[in-house]
Amino acid sequence: MMTTDVGEARIRVPDQIKLGDLITVNAIISHPMDTGFFRTPEGAPIPAYFIREVVVTYGSQEVARFEWTSGVSRDPVVSFTLKADKEAPLSMIWSDNKGASFKQSINISFGSA
Amino acid sequence: MKSRRAFFQSCVVSAAGFLVARSEQLLARTGISLDPDDPEVPNQEVARILKELFGDRPIRRGHVELDMPLVAEDGRVVPVIIESDLPMEPGQYVKAVHLIVDHNPDAHLAAFHLTPALGSVSISTRIKMKRTTWVRAILETNTGDVWADYSRVQVTLNGCG
Repeated sequence: MMTTDVGEARIRVPDQIKLGDLITVNAIISHPMDTGFFRTPEGAPIPAYFIREVVVTYGSQEVARFEWTSGVSRDPVVSFTLKADKEAPLSMIWSDNKGASFKQSINISFGSA
Repeated sequence: MKSRRAFFQSCVVSAAGFLVARSEQLLARTGISLDPDDPEVPNQEVARILKELFGDRPIRRGHVELDMPLVAEDGRVVPVIIESDLPMEPGQYVKAVHLIVDHNPDAHLAAFHLTPALGSVSISTRIKMKRTTWVRAILETNTGDVWADYSRVQVTLNGCG
């Protein structure tokens, strides 16, 4: 993740999902998560630069909202469960303290098997 | 978990009266309600956070499990898993989980606001830790109950600068 662009994000869910499954959602976004406490090798302060909020929506419903600080590690990962009770997009929007927002979505769909 | 508890209990037994008295003063001033064998509130900042989030509601141990390494070699990347056995149903659910790292510069490290749509409480992430300290996972139900679990994590390399 170190070489990818800031804001590049991935969401992973199981390949096979059935209606009613409790699935685990894994998400990662590329972001430096600078605390503001470090300096460059030249001695210039590195300002705080971090994801401060993550909003998770499933279909039209907001299902979770995370408030983060720069204490979350670089290239933040998060996982959580979701009750797969409909075929709908699962979207996440990560917003940072400089006003940028990054969105990623994945479709929750039920296999025909 | 057992060894952590045992370690903690031994800490309590050996804790200097000074620390206990100081913590009790903090608690008395703020009205924060912890169990007697819970980790001390170490400073005004943690006292302020607990007071602001939970007021004078009792913070009881149970229904949440905070899983962290006993020793974190690299404080920049410390895994955290928070789980709860409480229901996630409309009308009865965990509405928020707070992660507090006592001796970090920004002690209230994260808040996870949840809904019944998640189906269960099972959250994992990775955090930075400045030094050896207690970590608190405290959840709040939609009916206002507050449940907590604590992990003491020994940090070898400062991850906060």
